[in-house]
Amino acid sequence: MNPYLEQCQVERQKRQTDPVDSADQQRRALEWQRFDECGWPNTRLEKWKYTSLSSLEKLALPTALVRDPGFVMGSQDFLRADGLVISWVDGQIDLENSSISELPAGVEILFWSTMTPDERDKFAQLLVQSRRLSALGALNGALLSEGVWIRVSPGACLEVPVFLIHQTSQSCAMHLAVVVEMAVQSQLTICERWMSTRDQPTHVNLVTAFHLAEYAQLTWIKAQQGGNGSYHTAGLWAALLGHAQLRLYPFGLAGSLVRHDIQVLLQQPRAECTIRGVYRVCDREMQDFHTSVEHLAPHCTSDECFKGVLDGSGKAVFNGQVRVALDAQKTQSQLANHNLLLSEKAEINTKPELEIFADDVRCSHGTTVGQLDENQWFYLRSRGIEMETARHLLVHAFTREISDAIPHAGIRDVMNQWLGDDCYGA
Amino acid sequence: MLQIKELTASVGDKEILKGINLNVNPGEIHAIMGPNGSGKSTLSNVLAGRENVTVTGGSLLWHDKNLLDMEIEERAREGIFLAFQYPVEIPGVGNVYLLKAALNAQRQHRGLPELDAMDFLALVKEKMKLMEMNESMLYRAVNEGFSGGEKKRNEILQMAVLEPELAILDETDSGLDIDALKIVSNGVNSLRSPTRSMILVTHYQRLLDYIKPDFVHVLAGGRIVRSGGPELAHELERDGYAWIAESGAYGVGL
Repeated sequence: MNPYLEQCQVERQKRQTDPVDSADQQRRALEWQRFDECGWPNTRLEKWKYTSLSSLEKLALPTALVRDPGFVMGSQDFLRADGLVISWVDGQIDLENSSISELPAGVEILFWSTMTPDERDKFAQLLVQSRRLSALGALNGALLSEGVWIRVSPGACLEVPVFLIHQTSQSCAMHLAVVVEMAVQSQLTICERWMSTRDQPTHVNLVTAFHLAEYAQLTWIKAQQGGNGSYHTAGLWAALLGHAQLRLYPFGLAGSLVRHDIQVLLQQPRAECTIRGVYRVCDREMQDFHTSVEHLAPHCTSDECFKGVLDGSGKAVFNGQVRVALDAQKTQSQLANHNLLLSEKAEINTKPELEIFADDVRCSHGTTVGQLDENQWFYLRSRGIEMETARHLLVHAFTREISDAIPHAGIRDVMNQWLGDDCYGA
Repeated sequence: MLQIKELTASVGDKEILKGINLNVNPGEIHAIMGPNGSGKSTLSNVLAGRENVTVTGGSLLWHDKNLLDMEIEERAREGIFLAFQYPVEIPGVGNVYLLKAALNAQRQHRGLPELDAMDFLALVKEKMKLMEMNESMLYRAVNEGFSGGEKKRNEILQMAVLEPELAILDETDSGLDIDALKIVSNGVNSLRSPTRSMILVTHYQRLLDYIKPDFVHVLAGGRIVRSGGPELAHELERDGYAWIAESGAYGVGL
């Protein structure tokens, strides 16, 4: 057993002595058993072929119970936009910096730490598929420390976004869960930001489940901005009923190792899913997106595009799977992945995977890997723009297409600003 | 102010310029004409500093400073402007952003403060009127989806905003219909001044009906084979470039 798992064992035993409900203990035991059966992910597994967790294995990361007294809250750029804020520090809800004391009609927010045993049971059920996306999902089930459950009532349309803002104050591991339940014809925008302190190892192991009923609309934006030494592994599972619309905007902006497993199930006719993502890596950074969109019913639409910017010795993996079931006729699906390599040492492993069993569908996919356009660079410089600025502008322009697609203007502006932030060795 | 002496340059292994000599003084307009492949565009690119062209010999002086020591952006800030034969499309970078960044880079270089947003917009809008451009083009991405004529007008707009000391217009007339050519020429003519020089690189004499040069040079086989006044352009229009080949001045292999 590696040092990371040894520490997990310690944490597990600590929880067993906690005076909590027995059903929860039972669930945790089963999840630990399942994790044992799956085993710690290694590069011999197809899904982990290019992504090694060997540096995380060596870290014995405890659960943080008290935040570091010297901790100063990070910048709250998003908060320029109006919204409901759920603030987390070290995996614990930080009510002092949250603004959820008065919720608008039609929305309910529960935290795992204060749920009743019945609610915890339901919460766990809603996360079953999310936790099956990888072995780390089972580990999450065994070690869950906090979670948030957002429920939106039928027809409720929240005008302001819900912000989940997570920061760490010290070296620690966190196993967290988010569930969003969208009733018929409800609408919501969620925006997550994950930050960590510099140069202190942290691991966020997150599972998320989105359940969208008929005609529900959910927009989700995620900014991953970890420091040097930050590990972030996230499994996101979403299920859409008829006419539901899901829009996902994951932005992997920084972090030592970031892995996303995203699975979207279009379960009933005319469900729609749009994914627009960015990953960006510099020296010694790694981003991995494994996405899977499953068309299970006719007349559904999916449109996915990821753009990657790779610099220094940065590395990224994109695996985009689209599956169209036998009776999912009239499916429309697009999948694209475009990469900009800025250094000779940078590496991208990209693979579109289409599995189509229906015969009346429109499905396309395309992948590109390229470098900065010399003509564009020369053009900008010939107008007096400094070499590094010109390069920076072109890199920003490349990803801007993605951030410009964010429907919420305030969030879009902040994201544009972050994409313009320098991670390109100026 | 621009002195080109015995300049030789190659692209890849191929020697394109084989000893160019040219002096451009303040306020002068020089037309450089020549058949395809004679080295006209290479000469423009050498002046702007394009990195795929290697200077193998000779000298290039700009106000007695060695131009070859200057980076691309430095040349621009020192007042050299190249209007591209094929203006580049840059999706994601706004036209107005480029204009502002370019102007402020130059102002900073000259020790001037940045223009504030109001003054900048007023300046650009005035120049746009001159180029008969719709203001909406400011907020589009650089040249993206512009027609051929719009791209060339956009080049001259940039020139009008940046007010260079030396403008090199590389085949600015190519791909323009007669109306667009008039607009572009009007723009260029309005920028003529005793302190501003221009090099017009063109295949056809047509542009010179609208922008009157002081000197005309014929470039062939990487050398200037003839120089004269505006009348030389008419001679070329009448006789074509075939006489160069006959006179043996065309260089090797042609």
